[in-house]
Amino acid sequence: MKAYKYLFILVGLSIFGCSDLEEEPVGLLAPEGFFKSPKDIQTAVNAAYGHMTHEDFWGRKMSLTLMLRGDMVGIGDPTTSTRRIEHDDFNVPTDNGMISGYWNRVYQIIAAANQAIAGAEQVSAADEIKNPIVAQAYFVRAFAYFHLVRQFGDIPYIDAPISDAAAAASITKTATAKVYENIISDLKYAKTWLPNTQASRTIPAKSAAHSYLALVYLTMGDYQKAYDEAKGVIDNESVYQLGLEADYQDLFDATKIDGSNEPIFALDFNGFRSGDAGQDYQAALTGIRGDEQYGIGGGWSVAVPSLEVFNTWDDQDYRKSVSLDVTGVFKGNVEPYTVFKNFHSRAVNRPHIAKYTRHPGVTANGNGRASQHNHAMMRYAEVLLIAAEALNEVSPGSAEAHGYVNRVRSRARNGGTFPADVSGLSQNDFRTLVLEDRKWELAFEFKRWYDIVRRKMGAEVFSASGLEGAKPNFDPNQDYLLPLPADELARNPNLLPNNPGY
Amino acid sequence: MKKSNFLILLTLLATMGLSAQTALNGTVSGADGQPIPGANVLVQNTNSGTTTDFDGKFSIAVSSGDVVVVSYLGFATQSITITNQTALDVVLQASSSELDEVVVVGYGSLKKSDLTGSVSSVKSKELNAFPVLDAGQALQGRAAGVVVQSNNGGEPGAPISIQIRGNTSINASSSPLIVVDGFVGAAMPQPNDIQSIEILKDASATAIYGSRGSNGVVMVTTKKGSAGKLTVEVNSNYSFQSTANELDLLNASEFASYQQLINPSYTKGAADTDWQDLLYQSGNTQNHQFSFSGGSDDVNFYTSANYFNQEGVVLNSGFERVSFLSNLDAQVSDKIKLGVNLFGSRGSKDGVPTQSTGRTANGGGDDVISLMFRFSPDLGVLDANGQNTVNNVGDDVDNPYAIATEAVNETKTDKFRANLYANYDILENLTFKTTFGVSTNNQTYGLFRPSSLITTAGGNTGGRAIIENAKRTTVLSESYLTYNHELDNANLTVLAGHSYQKNTTQRFSAGAQGFTSDSFSYHNLSGGAVQLIPTSSLTESEIESLFGRVNFDYDDKYLLTATVRRDGASNFAINEKYAIFPSGAFGWKLSNEDFLNDNETISNLKLRASYGVTGNQAISPYQSLARFDNIYAVLNGQTVSAVTPDQAANPNLKWESSYQTNVGVDLGLYDGKISVSLDYYNINTKDLIIGDSSQPEYFGFLTPASLKNVGEVSNSGFELNISTLNISNDKLTWTTDFNLSANKNEFVTLLDGEDILLDASPGYFNIDNTHVLREGESVGSFWGYDYVGVYQGGSLPAGTALLPGAAAGDQLFTDVDGNGEISPADKMIIGDPNPDFTFGITNNFTYKNFDLNIFLQGSQGGQVMNLTNVQLYNGDSNTVRDNLNAWTPSNTNTDIPRVKLRGKEISSRFVEDGSYVRLKNIAIGYNFTSDITEKLGVDSLRVSLSAQNLLTFTNYSGLDPEVNYFGSGGGSSASGNTTNGFDFGNYPTIQSVNFAVNVRF
Repeated sequence: MKAYKYLFILVGLSIFGCSDLEEEPVGLLAPEGFFKSPKDIQTAVNAAYGHMTHEDFWGRKMSLTLMLRGDMVGIGDPTTSTRRIEHDDFNVPTDNGMISGYWNRVYQIIAAANQAIAGAEQVSAADEIKNPIVAQAYFVRAFAYFHLVRQFGDIPYIDAPISDAAAAASITKTATAKVYENIISDLKYAKTWLPNTQASRTIPAKSAAHSYLALVYLTMGDYQKAYDEAKGVIDNESVYQLGLEADYQDLFDATKIDGSNEPIFALDFNGFRSGDAGQDYQAALTGIRGDEQYGIGGGWSVAVPSLEVFNTWDDQDYRKSVSLDVTGVFKGNVEPYTVFKNFHSRAVNRPHIAKYTRHPGVTANGNGRASQHNHAMMRYAEVLLIAAEALNEVSPGSAEAHGYVNRVRSRARNGGTFPADVSGLSQNDFRTLVLEDRKWELAFEFKRWYDIVRRKMGAEVFSASGLEGAKPNFDPNQDYLLPLPADELARNPNLLPNNPGY
Repeated sequence: MKKSNFLILLTLLATMGLSAQTALNGTVSGADGQPIPGANVLVQNTNSGTTTDFDGKFSIAVSSGDVVVVSYLGFATQSITITNQTALDVVLQASSSELDEVVVVGYGSLKKSDLTGSVSSVKSKELNAFPVLDAGQALQGRAAGVVVQSNNGGEPGAPISIQIRGNTSINASSSPLIVVDGFVGAAMPQPNDIQSIEILKDASATAIYGSRGSNGVVMVTTKKGSAGKLTVEVNSNYSFQSTANELDLLNASEFASYQQLINPSYTKGAADTDWQDLLYQSGNTQNHQFSFSGGSDDVNFYTSANYFNQEGVVLNSGFERVSFLSNLDAQVSDKIKLGVNLFGSRGSKDGVPTQSTGRTANGGGDDVISLMFRFSPDLGVLDANGQNTVNNVGDDVDNPYAIATEAVNETKTDKFRANLYANYDILENLTFKTTFGVSTNNQTYGLFRPSSLITTAGGNTGGRAIIENAKRTTVLSESYLTYNHELDNANLTVLAGHSYQKNTTQRFSAGAQGFTSDSFSYHNLSGGAVQLIPTSSLTESEIESLFGRVNFDYDDKYLLTATVRRDGASNFAINEKYAIFPSGAFGWKLSNEDFLNDNETISNLKLRASYGVTGNQAISPYQSLARFDNIYAVLNGQTVSAVTPDQAANPNLKWESSYQTNVGVDLGLYDGKISVSLDYYNINTKDLIIGDSSQPEYFGFLTPASLKNVGEVSNSGFELNISTLNISNDKLTWTTDFNLSANKNEFVTLLDGEDILLDASPGYFNIDNTHVLREGESVGSFWGYDYVGVYQGGSLPAGTALLPGAAAGDQLFTDVDGNGEISPADKMIIGDPNPDFTFGITNNFTYKNFDLNIFLQGSQGGQVMNLTNVQLYNGDSNTVRDNLNAWTPSNTNTDIPRVKLRGKEISSRFVEDGSYVRLKNIAIGYNFTSDITEKLGVDSLRVSLSAQNLLTFTNYSGLDPEVNYFGSGGGSSASGNTTNGFDFGNYPTIQSVNFAVNVRF
């Protein structure tokens, strides 16, 4: 009996554990069997929106790149990192850290969309139920490629989840024209299947696909189609529940924007973040160093408009007062921009952008980072201006085109008299006027660089008479396109050569 | 029932020899009559053994004819053949020979003279020479080839990193496997409870641990009780501590003039604050241990309780720990011995934020140490409105006093381990041992940043609180048979066993912000207006193994060891679940050959050679599987679930394998008065797992680089140990132990020969790279511009160039690509953090009842990248007084460029020699004589006074050359393995003066 007891101890202690060593992860996601219901397609698409609000993309890296390349905003703090200065100076090496920082992220948006589209095929639901969700994936894929093609021209184009890595690693670039063709095809699918409205402007509705088609055609210079699509949106104004916000300031008030009819597609920052995911840096990048007026600990004076923006912008324009801060508060006193630097060695004596600092809502992080802004990628005012610009190219001098511009101007007046309505302009004058109106209406909304590129305005706006003064490095044969990241070309040499000049 | 029971017994015991065992009780003492505690008492050729208690007493089961071997460090080993006696008093003679000591190896023990591998031993006395929190710290400088470093200077409770024979990996850990009383992967017990530590270094010694043996193995044996009267021991010590060093920074008016050089409109603030004075305090450590041990013939026990409390030298930092250890052994029958080891502890770390990554907060804004240096001295703690001040130059950061006093950073760690064993002597020479153990490590981290911290809590966010918990559980079951066969002049020992281990880690975290009150700390998350995204995860991994070893010794001259382990691990990819790790070793005791047998000079000479393969489990669970991952996404104001492609499957990922050769010689001269041990090793680690950055990023995976087995790194070096008995007479003894190790490592192959550039700088530096992994170069070579000197104006010296926009007085760099300007293409290797050699020297003197211990430890030839100076010379912060000698048109004979705001470029300007020699410990002790102890009614009483880190000789300009910024792997792209020699915001190294009392009764 006693021995049995001991044996029991020995055997009991020793016979423990025999395993096939298979891994069965709990709480981790395997691709197999993930897609079961339409909800799972939405979960995959949601990742694309998540990537868009990452610091790499709209949170900071890509948006700041677009802003600095334009002619309105330059570097404030001279000690800011070189990779930013390189864009402001058109001195961009092929290993520029901004581009290599967001290149992968844009493709993560695309991979999420591709996964959603492919995964939908495993979901057995009626087209009427699942296609409106899949259409979001088509929209975001077009949205991402539209940014890439405008920045880089010919690019690697991926439209399905990677299954054969070796083959995918040796593809060649897809020509710009073909990329546009695919973008249009995706947007048309999205326009077909997306519902007229969604619960929020942060989810693309039919209006978003419709409006982006207009902008894509406008960018391609296909003005007839651009007009047709823009007109389509305008004709559906009530169906899509669109309109202009009465007070221009409210567009940049994080506490009011959710109820507005003006945004068509917006990226949603909600005052939370997870590391740099969902973290909006615009207030910090554009805010005044050491400024106390918004209680966010001031900004960083990284991206600051040139003084000429302030000097040439008519003081009567209500949008100027919404867009710029000319004073800050230091040590409790209101101080003019001419002395900002006295209070912080890295500040700069210029008016600063106010659109993102004034009403960021609750922010998760200091300096206004991780705001509650909904950054509009497309708002109704832009659709009106697209319609006006495109129509002017197709049939100059129309009252209809003037009317679209005047609608935007009317709201801008905010009860005042400036800017006045326009009428009877020549095709050339009207074209110049629309581009100028876009400049002020959409100031600091990351649109200006793309306008300069599509209208090839660089030689003019980066000359000595430009807002930022002469930019001697600007080369129209090179700088309308950015370089593909050098390390990506090293990973797949079939992507060579890089864009001209790099 | 009874019948089957009997049958099983029969089967098991069929060939069992019938020799009854009896208990042998005895004492071990020295020639002076003093008892020797901790001496090893073993029955030769069996697994049976014990150690003497504090009174030198032992009890062990023996059979007639057994040979009992008694050994202790510094004494000649005695072997006594047992006839029929039940009592045995052994008097050991002093000797400096360590050869007869018994050392613990994997799944067994061996006489040191029979070792074929490379094994270093560190005894209790060395571990307790001065108070340390973690026994690992006490290994520093004690054993050749072992490098020990705190991950954060003198921070109370900072983790310790141990590295044996260099970096063997890039992505996997380079830390050794820790085995405590046979429990694989256990937490280190408290130093007072440790009997001895053995460090297994070569493949012959480590291959028995297979896929976890590559980085060496630290075998820890805790104290055991032995038969005899109850012994109670109290160890108590108290230390006063202070910072070893402060930086010489500018005061308020100097600072204002300095800033006016950069920004003429700078106006001096009203305050004059010495932030270092404000934040440094005199710290103290107290450590009290209480143990009792004893036993009867059949049962013995050792139990201890320990209290450790450290108040750090930086305001509001501290660590407190209570731990328990209990070992119980019972000889329940002639054949069967049962026992249990229990360990429990609770540690509580009250941290101040240091070594900030600079990513999580504004401008590295929560790092108290670096902020002490950076923050403007003309600002006070509070501004005119009574709010905490924010810096007025550089990034907006809260002042360090506010962070140290208001930020909460608490870590509470509960550890528990229980290990049961049963030992069954099936035959006289065949033993079966089985163990079953569980260990848990439950860690809770709490963070709170009140709204009064302007920048780190996010201004208008109203405070932020986070709580994280990680619970790791390990279950281990091992069984093995040991067979011993003795021939006429040969001896064979065979070991065979099975092991199964399962690790489970469960984590969660939650957080909130926007608190109505700053009084909640992190204890009321629901009081936050805004809830952060909670996370949770479960990770499981399993290892199942078979292992075996043969030790053969012929004529006490020729020794042979062969080991093999087959490991299967769930972490690995489906095609690579199993691997075999073999090793073989040969030893030749030349001194036992006839031609040396009678040599009067050479008392011992042994040659050793070994070769073998060990592994490193370089990947975490699930890393070989195709995966989606959750990411943060928001729609319509709400956080929504979102899933994105993370990585592709890699069915062929496997372990990293180290192919290690070791040759060594052990030499004893003059009857062991001088013993020398020299080892040479070469370790080639192949199949290094490297992120395959050759996969295009347009694939769009969240983890762009997939893992691949591609690299190779080699480490080779020498290790020298010399122990001498210089003087030994009735009154005075003097011994010296010296060890020196030199390791050279080099990358042999990296993926496609491509450099891997890494970054260890704080995120707010906005620097892309600080170090590089390159074929043919050592691990973690510094990467940056080569600083030539100050540009004096005029034409550029040949081969140099300037950064864009630079003028006279600015930095002149080597123009590597020769294009006339400095750009990232001009970066090169500018330094090597790996030391040429490290060493330790211990001198022990005893004179009558006094003893003196002097321990020096040092490192030669390693370089340090002074990131603190990169910040302090950059113009957007306070600066060191040396910067007053910056270049001006009238002060051109200087190496320091002119004062201006500049980028935080990494250059050779900030690379310094990190060599040092340190008086690590000096201690004087006194053992009260027996006439006094008898009056006091105690067995023994000892008092000692010691000082640690009293002197450091170095040319390094920073606070301390022992640096380890991001050594804990927190850096942007850097891991602890490949990131060495960076100094930034380390918790300062401390000096302490310690008083200790030891009473036994």
